[in-house]
Amino acid sequence: MLSTITSGAVYGVRSHLIEVEVDVSQGLPCFQIVGLPGSEVREARDRVKVALKNVGIKLPPVCININLSPADLPKNGTMFDLPVAVGILIALGELSQESVQDTLLLGEMGLSGELKPVKGVLPIVREAAKQGIKRCLLPEKNAWEGALTKEMESVGMSDVKEAVDYLAGKIKKKGAGREGADRLSKMLTGEEVSGQPDFAEINGQQGLKRAAEVAAAGFHNLLIIGAPGSGKTMLARRIPSILPPLSLEEGLEVSTIYSISGLLQSADSLKMTRPFLNPHHTITGRALAGGGRIPAPGVISLAHRGVLFLDELPEFKRETLDILRQPLEDKQVQIARSSGSYVYPADFMLVGAMNPCPCGFYPDRNRCRCTPYEVRRYLNRVSGPILDRMDICVEALPMQFAQIAAGGQEETSARVRERVMAARERQSVRFAGTDLHFNADMGAGEVERFCVLGKQERAYMEKMFTAMQLSARAYHRILKVARTIADLDGSEQIGKLHLAEAICYRQSDRKFWN
Amino acid sequence: MVEEREKAYLHWLYQAAGPGSRGFLRLLAPFGTAQEIYGQLGSGKLKERIAPRYAQKVAQMTAFSNGYDVEEAYAKMRERGICLVTEKETQFPERLKKIPDKPFALYYAGQLPQEDKKAVALIGARDCSEYGRYMAGEFGAAFAKAGIQVISGMARGIDGIGQTAALKEGGYSLGVLGCGVDICYPRENQALYEALLAGGGVCSEYPPGIEPRAILFPPRNRIISGFCDALLVVEAREKSGTLITVDMALEQGREVYALPGRVTDPLSGGCNRLIRQGAGLVSTPAELLEELFGKPGGAFLEKSGGREKGQQGRLVFLEGMQGELFEILDTNPLPAEELQRRYEEKYGKRTELPILFQELLELCAGGYAGQIGGSYFMRILKI
Repeated sequence: MLSTITSGAVYGVRSHLIEVEVDVSQGLPCFQIVGLPGSEVREARDRVKVALKNVGIKLPPVCININLSPADLPKNGTMFDLPVAVGILIALGELSQESVQDTLLLGEMGLSGELKPVKGVLPIVREAAKQGIKRCLLPEKNAWEGALTKEMESVGMSDVKEAVDYLAGKIKKKGAGREGADRLSKMLTGEEVSGQPDFAEINGQQGLKRAAEVAAAGFHNLLIIGAPGSGKTMLARRIPSILPPLSLEEGLEVSTIYSISGLLQSADSLKMTRPFLNPHHTITGRALAGGGRIPAPGVISLAHRGVLFLDELPEFKRETLDILRQPLEDKQVQIARSSGSYVYPADFMLVGAMNPCPCGFYPDRNRCRCTPYEVRRYLNRVSGPILDRMDICVEALPMQFAQIAAGGQEETSARVRERVMAARERQSVRFAGTDLHFNADMGAGEVERFCVLGKQERAYMEKMFTAMQLSARAYHRILKVARTIADLDGSEQIGKLHLAEAICYRQSDRKFWN
Repeated sequence: MVEEREKAYLHWLYQAAGPGSRGFLRLLAPFGTAQEIYGQLGSGKLKERIAPRYAQKVAQMTAFSNGYDVEEAYAKMRERGICLVTEKETQFPERLKKIPDKPFALYYAGQLPQEDKKAVALIGARDCSEYGRYMAGEFGAAFAKAGIQVISGMARGIDGIGQTAALKEGGYSLGVLGCGVDICYPRENQALYEALLAGGGVCSEYPPGIEPRAILFPPRNRIISGFCDALLVVEAREKSGTLITVDMALEQGREVYALPGRVTDPLSGGCNRLIRQGAGLVSTPAELLEELFGKPGGAFLEKSGGREKGQQGRLVFLEGMQGELFEILDTNPLPAEELQRRYEEKYGKRTELPILFQELLELCAGGYAGQIGGSYFMRILKI
């Protein structure tokens, strides 16, 4: 007899529903799985056989053939254990095909029959809901994740026996509550974001904070240069708190990536706040971009919609940093493997931090003993194309000045965030009907179109261009940043004041040290 | 007059003996001309006549001379535009002839300094401050305008900056190297090296092809001081290689001047100490010119137009906030937020950073201030 169970698998951030077809026929006893199963999928037969025996269901000596359809997609993961077990029982006539009508089954099985949590539940359930499936049977620990999708009834099962009894109608079990979903909406409205690091905790450093605000408003990448201990990391850590809160759609998108990586443990760890990732500088290219035989999302994908902070930028290997070039351009990363090509989103704000020179005290000549040559060599360690993508470059104040400036009431993240959101609103109006979202996305052509200068301002820029020896590349970057500053100011016209500030945020075209 | 033929043999001798063998060469002097020494080396006579402790040196010379074509090597060097001038020749720089431990010969490319024009050695620290960088440039340019030849070591920092400024103004500058004149060291001064070849000169007592080594630099300092009439130290720490040159200059009877700096600034420590020990204090190029030419002003002030006015004269034109900001700027770069704080403290007015940035940039565009990185600003003095 034949049975069909609906299950699913994740491919990158996309997921597919997989039909598990089970046929049981008379013949020499056998148990095979076809349809490009990976080793962990193939091992399902041993787990299922033993688990069923241990919960008291004995399989007769029959010939069992299982096909995972569509058969041309490679299958990986342990979520097929439960569907395989249930499929066999239906094919044996223990359960009816109708009992699994419009039901999604996912779950790994232990030898005792208990159901263990699996990765990627959120995206699969979301895909299933899209295709009209109403109910899902999940391991108990994953039930909350299934319940995040509104149209789905998510039922958690502790072991395979319970699942079989439930499907047979012997026991009733209520779907997991919507606490997860309620929690979610609370998180999104910001009721539960307390405990996050806040801007108000940084004393002084007005310039640095202002630069971070501009960067957040236009989604510009930010380079912070400053002496050791000047609070570069402290500031970077607080940037997510001034970025606009994630929308529901964005939050689920981020959570999906975390789900695939197996990083969603409970509703508490659901990523509804902007991620902040700060990998150590010894990170490998694969860990950064994503990799492995079956590529797992890398750090840049985990930083999707959030902040990727690279401290001690010159210490990163050049090849590692160069990997960022394509994702910074395309906002996604593509990883090709023999099993297929995986695309992970990677739309992050890059924040880099570095010392101004090997000893960290430049331009304080009384303390800095680095030669110009050493300093230049230090900066040259950072790949040029990466520096090119840093729109805003700002110096963190050395402690001697920062301490003096400390004191007084500091602004909270919430207030800065309000201004950032207003500036973003202006950008979304401006870029309506184009592919662009933020000022940072503008290319040279778009800068000409959207950053039109008045007569006076043009004359000012011309004067500054020669006086400050700006390069053409710096010129465009300055206009982009000035556009954001004007947006923050609520002004449609870019003024002289905006341009002057933007000029001070330029990277001095590597002349920082001369 | 030394024949070209003999020069070819001298070139061979300097190469064979290797750099840093001045004592050995002095020992060889009674052995006859370079050509005769070449002959004695070939016949084995040299080995017999010289003290046994130089046997290794002689062996080294023999090894070098194996397969070495004296005349061809010299011709090749001349083709590359490198000349050799020996102390016995009339073209040998007069000033150098008088110094103790003078070099036997000089290799040079480009032009050597003119005898009838004044020459000043402009030297200082390699890792100089913004102040030193600025001063070196100003003095270099001023000297060039006044027709004074700038002698220095083409090193990083003060040396290179002063020489670059002098050449930019169309003046003459000589780079005295601690390696062969065909080698540009440090490499980052490639542009200066090429400019020197075109509009000035480079010289060295070491044969072409000799790589820079630490021990080769102190001896070349005596040549820097030897070439000049007066020596000006722009910036130096209390323990600095620059002070070796100062010692040499004093030994050679040259006037030594130093640019004062703040007592808290380690990079001015050497200069301030020199002043205390009796070096001339110089704060503007005009002052040094006065000393050099023995009359106030010299050639420079007439040529320089409006520059003789001090900074107070210029300040009149800085109005409003720019004038106020100029007052609180320092010759040491300060971050904008520190300036903001000082501004509030001094004038009791709070100003926002963007406005501060705008006004500071105006000062920069006018040449009154300099911007380091994005948010550091310093005062630029007009001297």
